[in-house]
Amino acid sequence: MIEILRPGLCDLVMDLGRPGRGALGVPAGGAADPAALAAANCLVGNDASAAGLEITLSGPRLQFPLGGVAALTGARFAASRSSGAPVAWNETLVLAAGEVLTLDRPEAGCRCWLALRGGLAVPQVMGSRSTFLPSGFGGHCGRPLQAGDILHCGTPAEDMRLLRASPPTGEADDCLRVVAGPQTGQFDDAGLAAFFGGAYRVAAASDRRGLRLTGALVSHYQAELSSQGVLPGAIQVPPDAQPIILGWDGPVTGGYPVIAGVIAADVPRLAQLKPGEAIRFVTIEVEAARALAALSWEIKELA
Amino acid sequence: MGKQTTGQPFATPASWRWISERGLRVATGEATLARYKSLISKNLRDVEDIIPADDSLLLVFRSAAEVPAEVRAALVEPLADLYGVVDGKRHEIVADYGGVAGPDLRALAKQAGMSEATYIEQHAATEYTVAFLGFQPGFPYLRGLPTALQTARRASPRQRVAPGSVAIGGIYTGIYPAGGPGGWHIIGRTNAVLFDPQRDPPALLMPGDRVHFVPA
Repeated sequence: MIEILRPGLCDLVMDLGRPGRGALGVPAGGAADPAALAAANCLVGNDASAAGLEITLSGPRLQFPLGGVAALTGARFAASRSSGAPVAWNETLVLAAGEVLTLDRPEAGCRCWLALRGGLAVPQVMGSRSTFLPSGFGGHCGRPLQAGDILHCGTPAEDMRLLRASPPTGEADDCLRVVAGPQTGQFDDAGLAAFFGGAYRVAAASDRRGLRLTGALVSHYQAELSSQGVLPGAIQVPPDAQPIILGWDGPVTGGYPVIAGVIAADVPRLAQLKPGEAIRFVTIEVEAARALAALSWEIKELA
Repeated sequence: MGKQTTGQPFATPASWRWISERGLRVATGEATLARYKSLISKNLRDVEDIIPADDSLLLVFRSAAEVPAEVRAALVEPLADLYGVVDGKRHEIVADYGGVAGPDLRALAKQAGMSEATYIEQHAATEYTVAFLGFQPGFPYLRGLPTALQTARRASPRQRVAPGSVAIGGIYTGIYPAGGPGGWHIIGRTNAVLFDPQRDPPALLMPGDRVHFVPA
């Protein structure tokens, strides 16, 4: 079990989400970087699908009254343990009874994932333990964690081992790879040139529903279309001509023209973009995007 | 890419195009719900989700791939019955129109050249059909809005719309199940619980269901 002594900005219980409910208007949701959560789970002997914490921009202070086994993946945050022991990322951590783990701000990036041995035992809602904030369900009472919250863990899947994970070595530049369309025809030449040549920054009003961008205006002929199904990574341009990249908890249908879509391999990278960060878009073909298999984590025993 | 069939009779095979590595948009026209029900009944193993929308379905594949033969066959299979499968439940939704509950009613009625009472009467006199759910969990896009009441969405969305708000957006009327930002015109409010994740099914209104508004 853990007790929240001080919450972070937005600590959310997440697992791999609830895909398959789009017809109810419910997005798949789940961890913004599912491979990173799955790796953290592996480090503590859980199934990949166990629930952990997704921590954004500023982290919580947590107590382990009975001790516990944990692992952190994703962006490295400034962190400390009351025992004075180092807080390693991508490794199995063993915490003593009463120990306090404090996460502050990320050194780079935006989000990290904390897995706990046994997984967070919050009730499943519609097949998942993930928090869906826009409607206030799932996770711990449908909301971010608060001071005083106590969360219990379930039964671990595997025997305890000390492991280390190596994250995939991916792109570190500011280019997000996109496939064009499906409504590029709705944009004039100036709008297309602005989008595909322009530099954008992530706006402060961004969250798991969408990353709002500021930068070159993307002008279009027609601001409204009939509603169509959309997926995370789709880049919509509303009437104010500033693009929005739909996030993990974004709507399943949208009526604004979609100029491009972030490729599946790069959607988890959106998790690490914090407000103010600069990005650019580079187009690739759908076939090329398919060939870019999702990069995978490597897990080894600690020597 | 399949051949273009928009506006063709329902028996014509659907046309499709990839919108991303895993997302296949299928143009289904009037047969959207019939095609949705046909595809769902086949339990296609490569398909993770099917999202109905305006005259189209989005098929979400489990992995990035070409259209598998099984899915291709399901998409081109003629539909036996367009209307029989979409005859859903009938619901009465009690709505409090105008005032604080419907801050945009006055302007909308004025724009339509009618009194607020006439606007309410026309909105409530219609039987609507749930075309699809989207935007928020359980948010119904209701088809059947009289032409005189149709109007483009607000130029700037509201930061916060009250849960249960009855709204007008383009050719649709809808109901916001949860609070949050919203770009439709708000004409009233209902106490009906549109979405409850503990309920089965969680959405009160399902595609194909028929809806009547009853002024409070």
